[in-house]
Amino acid sequence: MELESLKYIWHSLEAPPVSEQDRRAILATLGRRSQAPVARMRRNLIGEGILLLAAYTPAFFCFLLGFDGRLTVLSWLFVGMAAIFFAYYYRKYQLLNEMQCPTWPIKSNLARQVDTLKKYTRFYLFAGTAMVPLMYFLSYVIIRSKLPNATSALYQRLHPTPWWASPFFWLILLIPMTFCIYFVNAWYINRQYGRHIKKLQELLRELDSE
Amino acid sequence: MQDPAIQEAFIRLVSEHRGMLYKVCRLYCFSASDRQDLFQEIVYQLWRSYPSFRGEARISTWLYRIALNTAISGLRKQRRLITSVDPGRLPTEWHDIQYPAEKEEQLQLLYAAIDKLTEVEKALTMLYLEDKSYQEMEDILGISQNNLRVKMNRIRDKLRKITKADTYGIGKS
Repeated sequence: MELESLKYIWHSLEAPPVSEQDRRAILATLGRRSQAPVARMRRNLIGEGILLLAAYTPAFFCFLLGFDGRLTVLSWLFVGMAAIFFAYYYRKYQLLNEMQCPTWPIKSNLARQVDTLKKYTRFYLFAGTAMVPLMYFLSYVIIRSKLPNATSALYQRLHPTPWWASPFFWLILLIPMTFCIYFVNAWYINRQYGRHIKKLQELLRELDSE
Repeated sequence: MQDPAIQEAFIRLVSEHRGMLYKVCRLYCFSASDRQDLFQEIVYQLWRSYPSFRGEARISTWLYRIALNTAISGLRKQRRLITSVDPGRLPTEWHDIQYPAEKEEQLQLLYAAIDKLTEVEKALTMLYLEDKSYQEMEDILGISQNNLRVKMNRIRDKLRKITKADTYGIGKS
């Protein structure tokens, strides 16, 4: 069958007649949420942010008001972590907004999606890996700041520095843990987005090829 | 954007062009529920982009870009209920339209052939079947007219082979 004869069949296809039901269906669609992958990712992100706020707020107040004020530094740690997380979520949200340009020509839209999705996954990987040494460092600073000071008798008894306070101990734990987290993140990101990126790249290659 | 006048204008626009939108959904989705989902998603994307449409492109170009972008880059997981194209089971009616038996058979051949094309080839084929000029196709797809001509020739050959194989069983083991 030639393409020209397919054209004849194609033009003979009729759209269903317009009905009030169709009009109502379109109106109902306008009020619905998008089910596109990018829209779902945006909603998940907002959900994670709300969950974080719900989890961290009681912890903040607990350490701020409890323990006779001895652990207020932990409450500020939670504030710092929340601020870092919100910056992270904000950046991801920005990238997701950049991903969809449906009014662009097909090729430009696909190219934009691939670039933005790669930026998104790179940011995800970097931030997810950097979180580990950052938390380590903050925890180490807090523990060291809470250790008895050098003039106290307790410190003298513990001298030399106990193994669990030694920066070297923390460092030998941190390096392999950061490597492990990096590879776990990379595997997870590839599982979530790898196939999608490959598919988009294949489509772009097909558009570009002659 | 809840202005009733804008909503009405938008609904009129979608109603006028729903034939084209249904064809896009049929090309890119196999099951009726997937087609329904894609149609809703296209309408949603059109609605979202409607306020920013200033007439820089033709309305048909704008519509095709959104519909095809949504269909192609949505990359939905399509659960194919049958693994080989069985003309007897291809849905050909849209809503309640019933076609005469001869036309049904032709439609089944049409969809069976187009179903075997890639997403990009489907888009090109659709635009060609809709009598779009190469200039318009270039505006919608973003690829050069030379490239389009080469691709269309390949698609013609491919469709010829597909329809010959389906009709005469050539190339099937």
